[in-house]
Amino acid sequence: MDIEQKQAEFIDHFVKQASTLNGSALGSLVAEATSNPSLFAFSEILDVPTVLELEGTDNSVYLDVLRLFAHGTWSDYKNNAGRLPQLAPEQVLKLKQLTVLTLAETNKVLPYRQLMQELDVSNVRELEDFLINECMYAGIVRGKLDQLRECFEVQFAAGRDLRPGQLGSMIQTLSNWLATSDNLLVSIQEKIKWADTMSELDKKHRKEVEDKVEEVKKSISLKFHPVSRQTLTTEGMRRSSLNLVE
Amino acid sequence: MASSSSSGLTFKLHPLVIVNISDHYTRVKSQMHPPLTATNGSDGVDNTSSSPSSSSSSPSRSPPPRVYGCVIGIQRGRTVEIFNSFELLYDPSTHSLDRAFLEKKQELYKKVFPHFYILGWYSTGSDAQESDMHIHKALMDINESPVYVLLNPSINHAQKDLPVTIFESELHVIDGIPQLIFVRASYTIETVEAERISVDHVAHLKPSDGGSAATQLAAHLTGTHSAIKMLNSRIRVLHHYLLSMQKGDIPCENSLLRQVSSLLRRLPAIESGKFQDDFLMEYNDTLLITYLAMFTNCSSSMNELVDKFNTAYDRHSRRGGRTAFF
Repeated sequence: MDIEQKQAEFIDHFVKQASTLNGSALGSLVAEATSNPSLFAFSEILDVPTVLELEGTDNSVYLDVLRLFAHGTWSDYKNNAGRLPQLAPEQVLKLKQLTVLTLAETNKVLPYRQLMQELDVSNVRELEDFLINECMYAGIVRGKLDQLRECFEVQFAAGRDLRPGQLGSMIQTLSNWLATSDNLLVSIQEKIKWADTMSELDKKHRKEVEDKVEEVKKSISLKFHPVSRQTLTTEGMRRSSLNLVE
Repeated sequence: MASSSSSGLTFKLHPLVIVNISDHYTRVKSQMHPPLTATNGSDGVDNTSSSPSSSSSSPSRSPPPRVYGCVIGIQRGRTVEIFNSFELLYDPSTHSLDRAFLEKKQELYKKVFPHFYILGWYSTGSDAQESDMHIHKALMDINESPVYVLLNPSINHAQKDLPVTIFESELHVIDGIPQLIFVRASYTIETVEAERISVDHVAHLKPSDGGSAATQLAAHLTGTHSAIKMLNSRIRVLHHYLLSMQKGDIPCENSLLRQVSSLLRRLPAIESGKFQDDFLMEYNDTLLITYLAMFTNCSSSMNELVDKFNTAYDRHSRRGGRTAFF
């Protein structure tokens, strides 16, 4: 989708840079990557071997920051603020955007209260401004803001980087979806067959009734030629004939 | 005529052309039976001289008329896109198409569609014939390599493809003489948005014998069924892809995984409270209306029955001799 396309060049750029630098130079790279307004995906950078080497060294804090941006939320940052370096305002903004994405993962309808709590925003106006300007115009979420019920209905949210365990659950969801649609297909087939059989039965029934009518007509006309009396309907004719003849 | 594939040109055919040709043919054919006049039966098109005299009033099976016309479109590089077509007069005596008419029509079309060129011509029939080569050569001075679109009007229910073939002419050496022969070319159908809507509409025309409710229901359900089947097959592909990524057969592609995860987060798509309310309301409304309709039907037939009964057993009738029987 479009976000992925927009990100693709930035991802390539940063990955290339990351593979050439190492050590503390990566720190500034991480800061740059996390402040970039269009970049929301960090797992490619995380996969670069020079970045992974940072684990356990003095500069592992940069790796933590990167990991935080890839999988974590604003509350994670606040809880661990001691260990992590100070974030620049753009990074804070980015982290908040990513938080919205994470929240959208679990629920489709996000109450304002929860959003305000997670994002440290005190009033509704600010929250809505944030959602509209930073999230919807950036294209990472699409949805409807419902002020009366004070919630945000998410119709589409861009994907965040996957945690290792999430692949399994995604496959599970997909197989459920498949199973449901298979069942649906089967039931539609049955409905079609039912409709066809019903129409067949109906036609047969109609034909039987018509045959009977023909038969009776014929037998009446054989028995009952000299009717001079005017009768209005075949029904009446039949009855009058029955009265007279037998 | 050879049937090997042709040079490197790609052909794109718009459905408007197919509809035009078949409409032209149908008009001519319907104006032939019952045969009206001695010569032509429609606006500006002649039958080939091979059909027996159309002035005969016997309903014998005369071979179907062949209609002719011109196709126009755009040629960009190696892609030939056929957009539109118009009819032409065929002169059976000289076995050629009416040139003056063609040029006049071309001029008119140029004013409306300045980019369209004459790309070739069309006809109906089951296979390309020798006489067609004359017409083809005649058009070669307008377009050095015209295309010949052939529509087979005979309805064959077993055939699943479109009965449209596109022929190109190629110079082949046969028996030492270089000759122009027709070779088949493959084509794809290309639609503009407006065309897609009208083709969709035509495809969904109900059978003209006024299919009963059951057949309409079946047709609608079949449409839904095929749509879901397509969705199903695509989800299956995704599923398979993810499974093999999990097993490690394919290197993980993060961008794709992100897109899939965002897609899956849109599920369940219709489970909000508002949807349930609306859905149930509409369902109940439909049931109510159907019930009401049935009621009306029943009461009207009851009414008729009672009327008939009364007429038959009317006590106050002065019809001779019949007493109230019950």
